[in-house]
Amino acid sequence: MDKGIWIDGPVNKGVMKFLKGLLENNAMDAVLMPGKNKTGDSNAWFFLDRDGLDESASPFPPVMTTQGAKMVSYLTKKNGSWKKTGVLLRPCELRAVIELAKLKQVDLTNLVLISYDCPGAFPLKEYLSGNQQELDMAFETSLGTQTDPEGLRNVCSICSNFTGSGADIEIGLIGADSKGFWLIPGTEQGEELLKKTEESNSFKSLESRDKLVEAKSVQRKEKRETTLDSFQQSVNGPENLMTVLSSCINCHNCSRVCPICFCRECYFDSRALNSGADEMLRRADRKQGLRLLPDLLLFHMGRMTHMSISCVSCGACEDACPADIPVSMLFTVAARDTRKIFDYEPGRDIDEALPYSVFNFEELKNFEAPYTRQYSKQ
Amino acid sequence: MTDNGYEPKIVAFLCNWCTFTAADLAGTSRIKYQPNIRIIKVMCSSRVDPVFILKALLDGADGVLIGGCAPGDCHYSKGNFYARRKVALAKTLAQNMGLDTDRIRLSWIPASEGPKFAGVVNEFTEKIKKIGANPAGQEVFI
Repeated sequence: MDKGIWIDGPVNKGVMKFLKGLLENNAMDAVLMPGKNKTGDSNAWFFLDRDGLDESASPFPPVMTTQGAKMVSYLTKKNGSWKKTGVLLRPCELRAVIELAKLKQVDLTNLVLISYDCPGAFPLKEYLSGNQQELDMAFETSLGTQTDPEGLRNVCSICSNFTGSGADIEIGLIGADSKGFWLIPGTEQGEELLKKTEESNSFKSLESRDKLVEAKSVQRKEKRETTLDSFQQSVNGPENLMTVLSSCINCHNCSRVCPICFCRECYFDSRALNSGADEMLRRADRKQGLRLLPDLLLFHMGRMTHMSISCVSCGACEDACPADIPVSMLFTVAARDTRKIFDYEPGRDIDEALPYSVFNFEELKNFEAPYTRQYSKQ
Repeated sequence: MTDNGYEPKIVAFLCNWCTFTAADLAGTSRIKYQPNIRIIKVMCSSRVDPVFILKALLDGADGVLIGGCAPGDCHYSKGNFYARRKVALAKTLAQNMGLDTDRIRLSWIPASEGPKFAGVVNEFTEKIKKIGANPAGQEVFI
């Protein structure tokens, strides 16, 4: 789309007014969005109607407490929503929603996906133990100016998919310079909804924004590559990998909070790996000792094979890790290569099939080992 | 028989319909091949989750052989194409994390080719012997 509705004024207020307007004229029945409790000291997700919106909503939280895609999945896993529901998501949450829709964990019926130019998020632990009001203010400022606030999470500072493109309605902030924001329709559904708002005739060109988005994207991609390259160097080989992972306490929090890890029973929580003393002792015999709990490296690498293709680099795993392991960086590094073989980008397009669900007859020949020698005739 | 004095252990995941049958045929035709493989029969090569491959390698297997029907000949018509994607992922990830990808081999061996099965096993065993023992097998910390 090359045009969007321009709305003057502060972002927070403007977005709330826009959502309220849609609820008031019955274009939507409810919203699913981040909010705060009454005392204002915790961020969580709320499913709100018109009155609830006034009370609790806080559209742009400075931290990611729970991954929004998990909330959407929670709501629509078993069947689609029968209320027209607007969902306000960070770009990474939006990508996770699209991945989960492909994995049949989200039903997009009656959902209106709304996303925005995200400046990143603070590490959860630092937010909870730090001066929250100060961080709230810092985040709000950087939301308007679209500059990186200080102390961002690592994955956020190298994120190259920071716009809400792909959503039904995109809230454009880059280039708005704290003066207001654009409401950009991304799909037909979004366009129709935008026609029902009060300001529907104030469409403005997005040229200045597009240029800035492009420039930031190039810069971020470069930063992403160099940062990931050097991180990969530091974890190459089982020994270095184990140095990073050695503080893992095997709590499996990273998979519990991961939006993509949706399996009801995880292979790594199952008894499949729980062999008896006999087998353990034999393993210990082979290498003069055994680290307990065993299969630590297998857990992390196994998760990489299961979900790295769909990993959206949201950083929820790293926020949840009590041992401060850079889990999300590890996964981002793994994902960079694994998705390259299938030319796949998670959350790019709902119609793009998951790599494990399709194949081509002639592909990946370099992974097959041809038999090179003529066998003897007997 | 050994080149450098050690016998590698190779885990082989063989599909029930082709490669395992080929192994059977090699046996009934009395074709001799290296005794280094430990066969695990799976109903289809696409049953082999990349985790199985990594588990074998991290537990100290010197090589992992995945055998399936030739492309187009799969008993379930397309299982081996999925298997190829999974092995591609496992290999890429292994490389990414600094493991030796030469220890993973995917081969298509049709049911009627017992000699080919013996050939592949011999070839792979020889290669693994050249590479040497899997260091992960000796490491206490893995």
